[in-house]
Amino acid sequence: MTQAPARPVASGVAAKLVGQSVPRKEDLALLTGTARFIDDIRLPGMVYAKILRSEVAHARVRSVDTSTALTMPGVLDAMCGADLVGKVKPWGDLMQDLLVGDHTPFAVDKVLYHGQELAAVVASSRYEALDALEKIEVDLDQLKAYVDPEEAIAPGAGLIQEGITYEFGDGNIFDRYKVRIGDIDVAEEEADVVVRQRFTTNRQAGAALDPHGCIADFDSFTGVLTIYSSTQSIYMVRDVLADVLQMPRNKVRVIIPEVGAGFGSKAQIFPYEVIAAIFSMRLGRPVHLVLTRKEIFQSGTARNGQVRYAELMCKRDGTITGYRDYIIHNTGAMSVWGNQVLHIGTNVGMLPYPIPNIRVDGDIVHTNTTPGGALRGFGIPQMIWAKEQLVDMAAAELGLSALEIRSRNVVRPEVFPFRTPMGHVIDSTTIYDCLQKSAEAIGFEEHTAHPTPYEGIGLAVSMKYTSCRHPSFDTDQSAVRLRLETDGTVTIYSSDVTHGQGHATMLSQIVADVLGVGFEKITLAQPDSLNSPFGLGTYASRGAAVLGTACRMAAERLRERLLTIAAHVLDADIASLEMSNDRVYIARLPDSGLYLEILAGIVAYRTHQLPPGFEPSLEATATYDTPTEREGADGSGNLSVTYSGAAHAARVRVDPETGLIRIVDYVMAHDTGVVINPLVVEGQHQGGFLMGMGMALGEDYLYDDEGRLLNASFKNYLAPTATDMPELDHNFEIPAPSLTIPGGQKGAGESGTGPVPAAVGNAVFNASGVRFTSLPITPEKMLLALREKERQGLSVFRFPDDMPDFTGPRTHAEWPEPDLSESVDFDWDSFDEIEDLELDDLGDVDGAP
Amino acid sequence: MQDVTITINGDIVTGTIDERTLLLDFIRDVAGKTGTHNGCLEARCGCCSVEVEGDIVKSCNVLALQVAGRSVTTIEGLSKERLRPVEHVTSQSLAGMYAPLEAMGADVNDLHPVQVAFHQCHALQCGFCTPGMVMVMKNYLEENPEPTRDDVRTAIAGNLCRCTGYQHIVDAGMMAAETMRSQPDNSRPAPARPAHDH
Ligand code: FES
Ligand code: FES
Repeated sequence: MTQAPARPVASGVAAKLVGQSVPRKEDLALLTGTARFIDDIRLPGMVYAKILRSEVAHARVRSVDTSTALTMPGVLDAMCGADLVGKVKPWGDLMQDLLVGDHTPFAVDKVLYHGQELAAVVASSRYEALDALEKIEVDLDQLKAYVDPEEAIAPGAGLIQEGITYEFGDGNIFDRYKVRIGDIDVAEEEADVVVRQRFTTNRQAGAALDPHGCIADFDSFTGVLTIYSSTQSIYMVRDVLADVLQMPRNKVRVIIPEVGAGFGSKAQIFPYEVIAAIFSMRLGRPVHLVLTRKEIFQSGTARNGQVRYAELMCKRDGTITGYRDYIIHNTGAMSVWGNQVLHIGTNVGMLPYPIPNIRVDGDIVHTNTTPGGALRGFGIPQMIWAKEQLVDMAAAELGLSALEIRSRNVVRPEVFPFRTPMGHVIDSTTIYDCLQKSAEAIGFEEHTAHPTPYEGIGLAVSMKYTSCRHPSFDTDQSAVRLRLETDGTVTIYSSDVTHGQGHATMLSQIVADVLGVGFEKITLAQPDSLNSPFGLGTYASRGAAVLGTACRMAAERLRERLLTIAAHVLDADIASLEMSNDRVYIARLPDSGLYLEILAGIVAYRTHQLPPGFEPSLEATATYDTPTEREGADGSGNLSVTYSGAAHAARVRVDPETGLIRIVDYVMAHDTGVVINPLVVEGQHQGGFLMGMGMALGEDYLYDDEGRLLNASFKNYLAPTATDMPELDHNFEIPAPSLTIPGGQKGAGESGTGPVPAAVGNAVFNASGVRFTSLPITPEKMLLALREKERQGLSVFRFPDDMPDFTGPRTHAEWPEPDLSESVDFDWDSFDEIEDLELDDLGDVDGAP
Repeated sequence: MQDVTITINGDIVTGTIDERTLLLDFIRDVAGKTGTHNGCLEARCGCCSVEVEGDIVKSCNVLALQVAGRSVTTIEGLSKERLRPVEHVTSQSLAGMYAPLEAMGADVNDLHPVQVAFHQCHALQCGFCTPGMVMVMKNYLEENPEPTRDDVRTAIAGNLCRCTGYQHIVDAGMMAAETMRSQPDNSRPAPARPAHDH
């Protein structure tokens, strides 16, 4: 070793890092291949598990036989649903009010979706495990599958989830949702214009490239189950896993490898984690279980699809006075998050308009499709897709421009905080300015004056929660523990998993500013349930606002502690001390002072120098639970601590020959409050846009009539590539610092997604005269629509649902009661008859003329 | 089972493998280089891209047997010198902007210009697609030193990224192209190492 160079003494006060595009500290490992993702971990004696999944969507399980598979070379163990009955607890919603035990490691009596787990084997190698899977004998009795959520709740539909009593739902309705704000009937009566439309949305996958997977490692002597899992939330996995296996929670240790994104799709526990754990407990060896791409598409959760019968009421001047909606929310065969997606997406999706009269009824419905889950935007893109198109439709009827009607309505209070009728507390926002900026940058006025044929402009605005008190999950907390190490470096412990957001960089920027410690001296420890402070995890764009605040609080506590010691040692007044350049110094003597390592050394090794009675600790912990509210009985409530704003403007070109839709320009104007790291935040918006664009123009789950997922592969699941994307260089930040969050920051993760499908939909209408009512808008649909429009000789029309005079059911009360007695004793061999029966009834249900 | 020898980043690696073994698995499991990722195993995502004697190959789409005796470069091969021991952690003398590469004992010269540009442009978020993306970009820029942004987009059209929206990746491609043009001799062949069996 050569001599370390003399330490340069920095003079003056170091510049603050919050607000600067500090290049990320996580990059080096990722760029050079040294980062370890779940599939990169190799433990001694590790064996490989593989899951056999159902090839049909809905069936009774007659038998699953693993006996031949067990005799195959290299096979160590095998199991199926029947083996575990009574041995593990079913799980479902972890949350209070919603204890639904609808999840089991394997299908037991019934298969509910294509790809559901039927059995699993574990062998010495992957190849042997795969060979053995083929020897498992499965006898299934196929049932009629329900892919369409409206079909699933039509009278006579068979029950999907049997044997579960839903507290508020019935039949295939798993739960119901309602909002009652103001008086919608009066609003309708007094409205000058009411626009109505049925809208549908697609299923979209997170499709994080890093596969879902885990390695379970049980120590049979200590009884500790260690599980490395590619998840967004360690405590969700730990608590549910411990409950399912009936183990003490401090004997289940969840450790996070590098996680290659999740977008919400890893924000829950999955059967594979339970399966790997059980195998490891039975074998006493580490068990590797990483899913294939096909398995991830099939079972890794997908965005909840919705049918919305939406109505918007306006006064002549454009003021929005009412919103009514009946929503059928397709949450797949089972779902941990489906319910929440509807509540939160709808509540927050009302923004940025302070609508005074709202009536929403929602049915959360099971179908024989991929489980619904959290996905970037969490219900907001679906809501905005419907609402922002209605806004354009109303503007057209009123003779207003898309910009005028929005300018009139976006929340723009004179005093903050401002409470909307829905209950949101807007503590600051520049959404109005964002809207103007986006319209200006896209050339809105210019285009309106001189339109180009087949080119169109669309606007959409939304606001995104940046923390969340989930209606059935009465908490919104994150925690940070900081430790000053004895060499003056600092370690951050947190349980909120970073998986692309750059927590290490973002938190280090905050800590560096508060403690005056060098950015490079700060390290973020990987989350580990055995030593990370309790926090909910990384979702709901909570990182900057909630975790960032916990981190700031912890840093301030540590600062307080260090200043007290320094004041004692320097015999100075605490108020005269400053921290910067790794030192505590007297403000008027910035080139002197005590280095942090000296202070740490005092606390650790020379405690007689401490103030008398001072607790010698180098740690500080803080937990931040946001001042948010629980959802009220009328659906109102302030679920998020602050709200980010997003105003988007799209310019698209439609090729009438090929139906191809090209986004030629896209403007994003955002309010992310105080931006901690501008380059990282810009990256979040661009990535958010990609998800929104995929939802708008191509990504979807395609099912056949029997509920088989046809595109569980990147071959035919259309994830956007670099050549599909427009240049995303028209980004603007117009910050309105949050008044509630001490640092003023707001979340950035999802605000880029919300407005995209609606902005694209509005632009496509502007370009082609076709108002698309279903997602995604594909070239095939575009061609069909253009042809149909021409055939009917119309200049504008709605496609595929053209129902301006919609008068169908608006609440579940108006929906015919499902006949439960019939479905329970359903004769599964004659479901064809039933099918006919449904088709007749569906006419009324659709309300189609 | 069969004995196969492949040179990986200059190291001669020999393994006894199942004939079905993919090049990807050989790299990851026999050579122990896990920077090359499996994102789909169906030749769609590009996370497994490596160079085989100057050509980009999706290593999930090739059997190890097919490249027996040949020479492969993976992401780990781009920045070998980064492994130089860290001698000193600097103190915060960088009032204002911070340059983490220097502070971690690795200077910019240890990384390939494409890696540097990715870091500076924030062209990676979760980083899972990054090794494949970097390999493809490097290979492309070596042959096309003066690309347009659209050219770069086309070059990486076989690589998916779910995080970034590609914008910063294209920025990084353009920045790296410029660096590579200004220092044409950045190709530093890895020194041969003694052979060892695995
Ligand atoms: S793993 Fe080879 S292309 Fe996806
Ligand atoms: S950075 Fe996450 S997939 Fe590209």
